[in-house]
Amino acid sequence: MLGKGGKRKFDEHEDGLEGKVVSPTDGPSKVSYTLQRQTIFNISLMKLYNHRPLTEPSLQKTVLINNMLRRIQEELKQEGSLRPMFVGASQPADPLSDNFREAQPAFSHLASPPLLPADLVSTMPLESCLTPASLLEDDTFCTSPAVQHDGPTKPPPSALQPVKDSFSSALDEIEELCPAPTSAEAVAAEPAADDSKAQPSESNIHKAEGLPESRTAESKLMDPLPGNFEITASTGFLTDLTLDDILFADIDTSMYDFDPCTSATGAASKMAPVSADELLKTLAPYSSQPVTPNQPFKMDLTELDHIMEVLVGS
Amino acid sequence: ADIISTVEFNHSGELLATGDKGGRVVIFQQEQENKTQSHSRGEYNVYSTFQSHEPEFDYLKSLEIEEKINKIRWLPQKNAAQFLLSTNDKTIKLWKISERDKRPEGYNLKEEDGRYRDPTTVTTLRVPVFRPMDLMVEASPRRIFANAHTYHINSISINSDYETYLSADDLRINLFHLEITDRSFNIVDIKPANMEELTEVITAAEFHPNSCSTFVYSSSKGTIRLCDMRASALCDRHSKLFEEPEDPSNRSFFSEIISSISDVKFSHSGRYMMTRDYLSVKIWDLNMENRPVETYQVHEYLRSKLCSLYENDCIFDKFECCWNGSDRQVEFLSPIVMTGSYNNFFRMFDRNTKRDITLEASRENNKPRTVLKPRKVCASGKRKKDEISVDSLDFNKKILHTAWHPKENIIAVATTNNLYIFQDKMN
Repeated sequence: MLGKGGKRKFDEHEDGLEGKVVSPTDGPSKVSYTLQRQTIFNISLMKLYNHRPLTEPSLQKTVLINNMLRRIQEELKQEGSLRPMFVGASQPADPLSDNFREAQPAFSHLASPPLLPADLVSTMPLESCLTPASLLEDDTFCTSPAVQHDGPTKPPPSALQPVKDSFSSALDEIEELCPAPTSAEAVAAEPAADDSKAQPSESNIHKAEGLPESRTAESKLMDPLPGNFEITASTGFLTDLTLDDILFADIDTSMYDFDPCTSATGAASKMAPVSADELLKTLAPYSSQPVTPNQPFKMDLTELDHIMEVLVGS
Repeated sequence: ADIISTVEFNHSGELLATGDKGGRVVIFQQEQENKTQSHSRGEYNVYSTFQSHEPEFDYLKSLEIEEKINKIRWLPQKNAAQFLLSTNDKTIKLWKISERDKRPEGYNLKEEDGRYRDPTTVTTLRVPVFRPMDLMVEASPRRIFANAHTYHINSISINSDYETYLSADDLRINLFHLEITDRSFNIVDIKPANMEELTEVITAAEFHPNSCSTFVYSSSKGTIRLCDMRASALCDRHSKLFEEPEDPSNRSFFSEIISSISDVKFSHSGRYMMTRDYLSVKIWDLNMENRPVETYQVHEYLRSKLCSLYENDCIFDKFECCWNGSDRQVEFLSPIVMTGSYNNFFRMFDRNTKRDITLEASRENNKPRTVLKPRKVCASGKRKKDEISVDSLDFNKKILHTAWHPKENIIAVATTNNLYIFQDKMN
């Protein structure tokens, strides 16, 4: 990043990676263009998703970042290589959209963005995904940070191979994941998919589940990895609607407005059983057991106590 | 909270107002010129300080509303008091700043400290008289224009009729009457029916200095639209559209973002307008829509750093620009425009000679009353002595707000926390 600190030599032969037009059809610079585009895509997604301000984020900034993402997605669409795979994953989102439009769609779409490709990117070599923007400016495709300071004028040929391989292996991963979702992802998709059939009053609660679940899962996945780019990148690939709905839809406050005394179960007098019900519903995704709201909960009281203990931290 | 967020001279130049992130307004007043010290103009000293806006909480969205003052605009002076409009993201306030230097003394029923006198002790009557007192400057809010904007207000501009003003947020522009606080007219609305289709926002707006039915607004896509309120009540269709075609050799991922206009200012004559985008200042002739008549590069050396600047958000910095007073005074002032940059640098462009200069606003490098030394940024190649290389620029030290005295060559330059006032060397 720029700022005070060690002064670097400014390479006169630099291609001007950012300043000049790098057409996608040029040979070796095609990869640089793709890499740059990927980096910018990652940065953009991170800006949108990681921002948790106390005040409303600037609409201008959001719109500009969103336009950037759209443009990149359009380009990728035109290039055609990645799109077809994700049609299946994005379809479940569509029937939901109408339902959600009436009842605060924002967070439900957060739930559906698949944590699917969570695994996808661990196969990509970190260097190619995590290219800090400053490396791009030096016009180096270093596979190791140590090379950075030498500032080679041409990308080392070895760099091309890993990038291409990682892309194709990443795509393979996605292919594997798509037809047979694993438990966590399946349950993430299920409550979201169930909503289209569920009662409108229940759908609020399901969406609320989706929210904490996706948030915790997201943070779980994000923490161990040094760069958050990978997960957010895949999110963008999968659903167009997701981005826009999150950005511009109303915020779903049903979770914050939840008052145990006025829950759908109607048992206003007793606090304990009501909260246990809610507890069960929020825990359902973790336990991988499909839970429909109308079934009385079958959990043991001892199990429930145990869970309460964990939550209360006593 | 001490971060300066706006700077504005009043119409005579005697007063200089600054707004900050903490919602405060500080007004400086120029000292009367000392006849004996003819070589320097009066200094600016603090005249009044008041809290204009307080932080608020939007309960519906669970978000805070910042008290940061986005803009201050002075009204022309009509009587002894001064009036200004100040705005944060949501609410505009009209403030009256008045002086009190006399107070009545000699009441019959009250003591000087306010206690009531025992009526039985009153034996004679007297007429209260005004006696001088220490100058007191009072600021009081006269009008509060609230709840008219869903999105964040970025501009206010007082009409040349001095009765109305416009306020612009990201998607709408409203017309207010200074006397009426509970109603406003919506004159521009670019909100799409489906918010997912939103790709462009309003970034700045200003009334024409002479024509009270004409105003312009700029967008995040680098266009400026001139609208005439006589054409229709809702000015969604522009009368003129100013846009420069993109230079294909400069195309990059960031072309759109750097084309976003952060400020638009009419010249005092109203014939020209100036726009500021991320890398340049452009002067437009209102009669020519397809390209500007002049373009000045502020910090072209940043063009190769756009990716980093995108990453650290600096690419979204909103720099303002300003004209000097040359339009009004036909004689001795050459037309100069000024804008800020990074590393506490600010730039001036002489429109006649086409010369430009870079100066620095910092205490370390400039002692008071010394002439500012021109600075130079070295973009590439060998760095000469006294030049600064691009990589050692401090991007946290940005000058976003500058103002030029309407009549004299006195400028106010705001760094993050400090206000600098410079004047040109006399004799």
